[in-house]
Amino acid sequence: MAQIEQSDKGKKKKGAQKKMSIHVDFTPMVDMNMLLITFFMLCTTMIKSQTLNIALPSNEKVEQAEMNKAKDSEAVTLILDAERSANGEVKPGAGTVVYYYEGKPILQDGVDVNKVNDAQGVQSNLAATQFLGNENKVPQGIRKILHDKNVKVLERIEEQKAKWRNKEITEDEYQKIAREIRNDSTLTRPVVIIKATPDASWESVITALDEMQINQISRYQIDQMNHLDSMMIFGYRTSQGLANIKK
Amino acid sequence: MGKVKPKRKSTLIDMTAMSDVTVLLLTFFMLTSTFLAKEPVTVITPSSVQEKKVPMANVATILVGTTEGTDGKEKAHIFMSIAGDADEENAASWGTKAVKRNALQAAAAEYEKYTGKSTGITSSDLDKFAELNSVGVPLAQMHEFLQLKVEKQDEFQDPTKNPNIGIPMEEIVYTNADGLKEITNEFRIWMRAINNSGNPNLSDAIKGGEGIAVKADKDTKYETMHQILNDLQTIKMNRFSVMTALKTEND
Repeated sequence: MAQIEQSDKGKKKKGAQKKMSIHVDFTPMVDMNMLLITFFMLCTTMIKSQTLNIALPSNEKVEQAEMNKAKDSEAVTLILDAERSANGEVKPGAGTVVYYYEGKPILQDGVDVNKVNDAQGVQSNLAATQFLGNENKVPQGIRKILHDKNVKVLERIEEQKAKWRNKEITEDEYQKIAREIRNDSTLTRPVVIIKATPDASWESVITALDEMQINQISRYQIDQMNHLDSMMIFGYRTSQGLANIKK
Repeated sequence: MGKVKPKRKSTLIDMTAMSDVTVLLLTFFMLTSTFLAKEPVTVITPSSVQEKKVPMANVATILVGTTEGTDGKEKAHIFMSIAGDADEENAASWGTKAVKRNALQAAAAEYEKYTGKSTGITSSDLDKFAELNSVGVPLAQMHEFLQLKVEKQDEFQDPTKNPNIGIPMEEIVYTNADGLKEITNEFRIWMRAINNSGNPNLSDAIKGGEGIAVKADKDTKYETMHQILNDLQTIKMNRFSVMTALKTEND
């Protein structure tokens, strides 16, 4: 590591003090420093978390009228719930089930909403799927449903994205155009209402909001479950031969 | 006849200069990096495709930890941390410490007004509070908490050891001078106090939605989160951000 060398080559006169030069090998020190630097560099950049902005509707009761304005053909309601076993218990480490219906809830013929059997629920146009993401770049599960609903907007945005990738337009221009397309009222765009059962995980809510982002849906809102929603889920589970959720 | 000796060359390279450079770089990284602030609970945030970064300044973070309550339901433990302006110049009035001090003072005053109970918070308590990061102690116990030593404070704030820790969400009913009933809770008192802590940039950020960051574990039940979201809605802080980790579209 460190050597002490005599600088003379035997020519020194007798009695003269020997000159010593000291070499210290810094290589291991440099190695260690480099390691530490790498560590600090990686740590400082990796940990920063991201944020997702949420705007909830205000608590005042003016929203209701506003909400009903959404055309039935455009509305999609998602109800998130934790995966349950056949007896209605939440599975440990459960995934998410996404119940959804398009437009207004359509109940089985002749059922009075107010006289629904609580245990049986009510048959309706409610269906169930999951967050499946993409498979070979083809949307699956709930993403496919939302994708199909918003296909016109997505097609247009995809065109612009291609232009941006080919450097025909800048990113800012692309973002601006994309925003205009998302809010273009001449295109058929869905209105998504996101609801969640008490047992749904926070992650599932964020995933649902992410799906809005991925599918370029500009109109969505988080809403609360109502009695009819629960009855529809009960009805769906009954029709599948599954026991119901205990309250 | 002496042999011709080839001149022996030393292969030693002087690493001193290299070492200097690396030490300099190391010092730079060490000084510029901010350490992760200590948090009473560890949460794994849900992942999202959003790429927006968390702001470093002018943000109030609501940290939600959960434990299983005695009734078998999930119990939320709410902790708050506040970051003021990072600028040097107005650190005295808008900086993190000043904002925290003002927020506690305002929250204590509100609490005393609504409950009629004294919190016993002194000026030295305010200074101690300004040094802390995440705090989720009920205001009634705040004085007692701030008097503790640092290690004891960590223990006090650990939900596994103190199951009642966290900013309480229980309703406080207050009858005002006109005989009208107002309902509030400590969480709302805190949020309002932070909003009015005398830093206009923080208030603007809260209004715009970047000033409130909700940090909750991905497995937290919606039931639990709903209470918090509902409270934020009630005090008209409808816009806020949620802390997430990054993932890609195909995950």
